[in-house]
Amino acid sequence: MTKNWIDELRTIVGPRNVITGSESLAWESDGLSLVRGMGQAIVLPLDTEETVRVMKLLAREGVPVVPRGAGTGLTGGATPVGGGVTVGTARMREIFTIDPVGRLAHVQAGVVNSDLSVAARPHGLFYAPDPSSQAACTLGGNVANNSGGPHCFMHGSTTRHVRGVKLVDAEGQVLDLLASPADPEGLDLVGLITGSEGMFGIVTEVKLNLEPLPEEVQTIIAVFPSLDAACDCVSEAIAAHIEASAIEILDKLTIAAVEDSIFAAGYPREAEALLLVEAEGGALEVQETIDLVLQLARKHGAMEIRSAQDKAERARLWAGRKGAFGAMGRVAPDLYVADVVAPRTRLREIVALAIEIAEERNLRLGNVFHAGDGNLHPNIAYDRRDEDEVRRVLEAGQLIMEACIERGGSLTGEHGVGVEKMTHMCDLFDDDDLNTMHRVRDALDPKRRMNPTKVLPLRACREVRNGGLPFSPMGNLEAKT
Amino acid sequence: MSTAIRSLPLDYDLTLDCIHCGLCLNSCPTYRQSGRESEGPRGRIHLMRALAEGRLEADQDCVEALDSCLVCRNCETVCPAGVQFGALMESARDHLPAPGLLARGLRWFGFRLVLPHRRVLGFLAGAVRLTQLLRLPQVIAPLLGQRGIALAHLPVFPEANKRRSLPPVCPSTSERTEAVGMLEGCVQRQLYGDVNRATVAVLNACGADVHTPQDHACCGALHAHNGDLDEARRLAQKTIQAFEDLDGEPDMQIVLNSAGCGAHMAEYPRLFAEDPLWLPRADAFAQRVIDFSAFVAQDQRAERLKKQLAPLAPRKVAWDDPCHLCHGQGITAEPRALLDLIPGIERVEMPSSGSCCGSAGIHALLYPAESNQLLDAKLEEFTRSEADVLITANPGCQMQWHGGFSRTGKAARPQHLAEILAASLAQGPQVVSKTKPPTKG
Repeated sequence: MTKNWIDELRTIVGPRNVITGSESLAWESDGLSLVRGMGQAIVLPLDTEETVRVMKLLAREGVPVVPRGAGTGLTGGATPVGGGVTVGTARMREIFTIDPVGRLAHVQAGVVNSDLSVAARPHGLFYAPDPSSQAACTLGGNVANNSGGPHCFMHGSTTRHVRGVKLVDAEGQVLDLLASPADPEGLDLVGLITGSEGMFGIVTEVKLNLEPLPEEVQTIIAVFPSLDAACDCVSEAIAAHIEASAIEILDKLTIAAVEDSIFAAGYPREAEALLLVEAEGGALEVQETIDLVLQLARKHGAMEIRSAQDKAERARLWAGRKGAFGAMGRVAPDLYVADVVAPRTRLREIVALAIEIAEERNLRLGNVFHAGDGNLHPNIAYDRRDEDEVRRVLEAGQLIMEACIERGGSLTGEHGVGVEKMTHMCDLFDDDDLNTMHRVRDALDPKRRMNPTKVLPLRACREVRNGGLPFSPMGNLEAKT
Repeated sequence: MSTAIRSLPLDYDLTLDCIHCGLCLNSCPTYRQSGRESEGPRGRIHLMRALAEGRLEADQDCVEALDSCLVCRNCETVCPAGVQFGALMESARDHLPAPGLLARGLRWFGFRLVLPHRRVLGFLAGAVRLTQLLRLPQVIAPLLGQRGIALAHLPVFPEANKRRSLPPVCPSTSERTEAVGMLEGCVQRQLYGDVNRATVAVLNACGADVHTPQDHACCGALHAHNGDLDEARRLAQKTIQAFEDLDGEPDMQIVLNSAGCGAHMAEYPRLFAEDPLWLPRADAFAQRVIDFSAFVAQDQRAERLKKQLAPLAPRKVAWDDPCHLCHGQGITAEPRALLDLIPGIERVEMPSSGSCCGSAGIHALLYPAESNQLLDAKLEEFTRSEADVLITANPGCQMQWHGGFSRTGKAARPQHLAEILAASLAQGPQVVSKTKPPTKG
């Protein structure tokens, strides 16, 4: 019985693009390697039309659908924990148009983030949101997760740059919102879809804003004797209404990992904390911003301040920052990348707390984060083969999340909720909030087949029947691995 | 039941370096081509780890996912965790069955019976030349589909005179400053003897005497890349021995003009990680291995060479980085710098010069359709760059580009870096009396 519809999928997208063999294991997790799941197949349609036919077939069969871009997400959002079919956009790599006058790009969902900026550069434009995984992650995935990145401090996260989408919903209907004007008439459905983590359908095409390349860019690093001092410096800079484009902090463990890697950026290893600040815009305002940073950095005890001398050095400083997560592979086989938001006035307190929580549990913690946004990434290096260490990692992750929520922060800055933080939605939202979210979901996907067992905590027969997980997926998976 | 992988501690530890971040994905030509994560570096490592952990059986699907890898090592250049992907893939393949008849045949016939033996190689090259002169490949090509097309557009093996060995010593033509060893190679010597002679001419002009082992055939790179580590070890030992026995200076550098061989030979110690007898010899040997471009660009050599280079007829040249030069050895600046020394020519860049052309050892033979697709994208870039000549530094890449130009009816020809340097040298005052330079240069 099941064979039949899988064969039908093969006739739609071609036999090579339906994967059911042993190699399916390669899709069993995304960037959160702790969470794994196997569905019935992986399907890689080429365009909207094939996606429509695939989705209609899967609707007919009542199969759950897991949308997936490059699988670089960090919350298990693209992992088929609830079974079903993974529908990937990895073959949808076409950039349809770049409109240099209207500063718009129309692309397929599987186009890689940095490939768009490369294509836009000859027109003097770039795509602003720059998640650290931008060399690999897809724009469709960015839309699904409303992804951020260092420069979102100035430019805002993905939602500020999405002008239109084409969505194929659970039933295979196309919702074409590509023609949306900048200020949408009627309901802002594009805004609704951005950040919906694949629960409303699969985005197959996106229209995005492009920004003019800045006239002037300056990047500096400041070395601090302690993480506290660096955090205080940032808090004060925020209070002083600083207009930088990115404000990042890296701690000692992270610096060492980066400096050992091929992305070695010349970060001083002796630094307890490194502040990386960039300013862009007109020459005058850039200078003003940098002057302010220099003044505050000195005030907070910076030992050394260095400015990137040229484009190449600037590129190196950023390549190091963006490779930081991967570079932690040198510390241990696995990495848990937490993603929480702290009120920016309480950076120091939360960072110190995260360190304390990790130390108490004998865990190796590296901090690298978007300080300007208060978006923390306590990175815990571990080995998933060590059951007790896994337990301690999850516990630490939960405590850090809870501490942020208690202090008025949030449970995700840019990675989304996915599987990882689903249960914590209850800490942040009450029943009425969650019910409203469910009603929106039901309006778009009444059978709740899209990306089940993610984001919104609930118990539903379908999720249970499909091998999905009861209330706490992270807790349960811990036992499985 | 299919064969399960023999778990080897070394492989397994190397898989643990990967933390699944996925930054490698977009660098991988096969992933970009198919969109299949099982054909991207992260996915392949994940499969290898699962094999080693016994979570996965090495069935046909899994073996194909691993076998379709180009081992171009582009992923190593972008991996923040420093995963040694090439090493990992070599040892994985060594434990896995070859996925098809052709691959199995190549391993046993080509790798064991032909490549290691000079005389067999020579005989076969002559035989292939004969069939090429009779245009047999063109006759049978239609029967072989994509593979036939590749066969029909192979470069013609040159006449026996051009396949002859280099003399044991080629003395410096400039003020002598040093001696070096040089590897003629297996395919290189048979198909691209001119490249070897050009390499010697450039090295001689830099002041180096060039010593060449006379009875040596193959370094074993293809064996290592394709799952025959035992034979690779045997050939590595022969190679090390051959260069230890060479006259000249005891610790002289060994210059390689084939990127694939160079990258492999610099990593010989890995083959002998558990062999206390051979490890120190392999270590000492690897220290001496250096790529041709890196060697010439170093110290005073480039200066000295520059003085002897004469203008070539104006033309645009595009440098295509061989994967095992740019990703395997991290060499990208030197060949460009050397090209920039040649008066009269203009060097242009292709955006994807660091991405595999699809040759990848025997990949072009095993996966002709995919291989041609990779090359087609690069051919397009070459056309857009408006270059007249494609310069590279590896026999496989040179063959692949030759096939591509021939298949698409382009007039352009691929050349080795040493060939264009030697051509510019030949225009110079020193050799002008001996060989009349052709007007086109």
